Amino acid sequence: MEEYVKLKMSLPQIPDIELVAVEGLERLAKHLGISEEKIGDARILVTEAVINALEHSGQKRPKVRVEFTMTKEKLVIFVRDYGKGFKPEEIEDPNIVEKLGSVNKRGWGLKLMKSMSDDFLIESNTNGTKITLTKHLI
Amino acid sequence: MEKELTLNSELKNNCLIMRTSGYVNNTGGEKIAAEFSKHFENGIKNVVLNFENSKVVNSIGISFLIEIIEKLNEVQGKLIFTNLDPAVEKTLTIMGLFNFAGLEKSDDDALKSFKG
Repeated sequence: MEEYVKLKMSLPQIPDIELVAVEGLERLAKHLGISEEKIGDARILVTEAVINALEHSGQKRPKVRVEFTMTKEKLVIFVRDYGKGFKPEEIEDPNIVEKLGSVNKRGWGLKLMKSMSDDFLIESNTNGTKITLTKHLI
Repeated sequence: MEKELTLNSELKNNCLIMRTSGYVNNTGGEKIAAEFSKHFENGIKNVVLNFENSKVVNSIGISFLIEIIEKLNEVQGKLIFTNLDPAVEKTLTIMGLFNFAGLEKSDDDALKSFKG
């Protein structure tokens, strides 16, 4: 069976906590002999997924569960929050032309996750939101 | 672990060159925007942002750079990114920043492109 490593963590909302997840990701990659360059996109995906979950869950004291399952070929990132949920189909992709001249220049997280991952799955209901991102590493 | 952003800046040929090191998050983006504003008020319109030592960015930090692009657009100025990590370059491409900002391999290339 193909070697895989798994890491699970629960992250509270404190500044730059997403970097703890990025650090975990880097450790797993190093263990499997995966080069730094190959996990560049994954770093961005993890960062956006964790920030998005912590920012938008709507919980009083937000926390997110993060799981990585990594082989030499593939990384699966699972991030879930326990917030109020939302309707992903109602979120429009941001557009740079509209952002220039607009007060709100944020809101890029979902677009980045969809565009940078090889597979993107989002499930959201009133018990929270689960995002599963797959990234090929070869 | 990626560290808090530090920034050094230099004026060369009437162009502001900012070199960052560390995480471009909200506070990092604010630092870059604050440094830019200081020079923008003095009439600087050409800006180079060197991200050689910033391998991790987030979209909140990058949103501050959209503000910079917006201000430069108003005065026919330009922002050029240099030394980008491939994943950071991809992030900025997805966000559409290169429709309004430049991309060069090095600071020297960026300075040459302002002259041209």
